[in-house]
Amino acid sequence: MRDVAIIGAGMIPFGRRDEDTLMEMLAYASLKALDDAGLGDKTVDAVYVANMGGGMLQHQSAIASSLVDRLSLLPAAAETIENGPASGASAIKNGLLAVASGYYDYVLVVGGEKMREVTGWRATDFVATMTHPQAEYPYGITLPGMAGMFTRLYMEKHGVTREQLLAVSLKNQEMGTLNPYAHVEMALDRGGIFDSPHSVVNNPVSADPLHLYDLCPVSDGAAAIVICPLEMAKKHNKTPIHIAGFGQATDTQTLQEREDPTDLKAVSLAAQKAFEMAKLKPSDIHVAELHDAFTILEIAESEHVGFFKKGEGGKAAAAGKTRLGGQIPINVSGGLKARGHPVGATGVAQMVDIVWQLRHELPKNRQVKNAQNGLTVNFGGFGNNVLAFVLKRVE
Amino acid sequence: MNKEIAITAYKCKKCGKIHYPFHDRCLECKGREFEKMHPEGDATLLAYTVIFNLPWGFDQRFLILGVAEFENHVKAMGQIKADSVDQLKTGMKVKPSWEPIKKQYGEDVYGLKFEPME
Ligand SMILES: [Zn+2]
Repeated sequence: MRDVAIIGAGMIPFGRRDEDTLMEMLAYASLKALDDAGLGDKTVDAVYVANMGGGMLQHQSAIASSLVDRLSLLPAAAETIENGPASGASAIKNGLLAVASGYYDYVLVVGGEKMREVTGWRATDFVATMTHPQAEYPYGITLPGMAGMFTRLYMEKHGVTREQLLAVSLKNQEMGTLNPYAHVEMALDRGGIFDSPHSVVNNPVSADPLHLYDLCPVSDGAAAIVICPLEMAKKHNKTPIHIAGFGQATDTQTLQEREDPTDLKAVSLAAQKAFEMAKLKPSDIHVAELHDAFTILEIAESEHVGFFKKGEGGKAAAAGKTRLGGQIPINVSGGLKARGHPVGATGVAQMVDIVWQLRHELPKNRQVKNAQNGLTVNFGGFGNNVLAFVLKRVE
Repeated sequence: MNKEIAITAYKCKKCGKIHYPFHDRCLECKGREFEKMHPEGDATLLAYTVIFNLPWGFDQRFLILGVAEFENHVKAMGQIKADSVDQLKTGMKVKPSWEPIKKQYGEDVYGLKFEPME
């Protein structure tokens, strides 16, 4: 297996992008990554497109074939990868393996989703199609609903409090105001959403015990990276970022069939594999992007990947240990909570943010000083398909 | 008349593990033969929530949902007959029934409902 590095990264601002089609968003992000890599008019060998809902939301199929045509990347190999909200990381994994195997040299991975085209209840329904078609979906369960049930169990078992969830929400929303690519750019204050009379109106219960500001927004957006063998990466213009490790694991589709529904086994396994492959430990990581579709997930994942012991993640968040300048800065980008969560784009966007961190390209108020190693976790379904990557800066 | 709960669970003939929904192979021992069983008795509430952003197909203000375990250890999701989650707590006894859970193309779709017994 060859070592593989990221030589180009690009993203378009997330949010409500009524003016762009899904294909336009994918194309813009792709061009940014190709230009960032300095590939000029050179083509790539293969393109992996992450998208979850094109078929359902845009009534469009074979998206990758359409994209390579539009980008004049013919005759590059192309395919679309659908793996729920983990589609982005899955597409990266497929590109990584293709380059590592020696079969392809230059691969473009792009993820995108256009979710604001449909009404909120259609978008909610689209995401809920991930649930079990007989045992869950007919009852009206949604992903926030699964997260609500999980949160109560986590609170009961590990003592997580609403105040700790609030700390995640405030941190990520604050970081979002500094990120020009973020969907949500409004800072929150504690009183407004927690302990003033207005908070009842501003921050109503959404999926008990989760409130509105515990949930990520529904977004449009796209992000892309270009990868190649590490040996070849050194002759390109940007500091190569080595994809030093990855791991993927699955778990039961329904929460009720897990021995302990608060145990996110797929997160632990994916992270363990990524760390083993990279020959690093959680304490070697300087910056992480964790899949905080719900505030509870940032806390639970920070424990399951090994940054904190079970039951300590909430306390760490409340104590500021996961802020920029803290013990382990998590979701300095604002995370899904503020950057937004266009499902197919998310796994790629997390990687783009870590690439920028490890290249030391970000403005001072978002840059983790001298960051060398980063971690991403992309969480599919309700934790039934999870991927983790460990990235290393190459001097 | 109370309708029978039309859920089939599957008990592995080799190791006894109970599955719902169906799996082609046992999650524990990979056995492929199952004995069909039906949920029996009352149930214990394992998890619950109330959601206010409902998916397409639900024309109501909110929906209370939960997962409960029957006396014969079948676990399943259902809608909860309560006005508020304040009436609920993890571990409480609930009475299961088989009732309309939504309408599709003008027809009732039946499913599990749980009513708090405490
Ligand atoms: Zn068995």
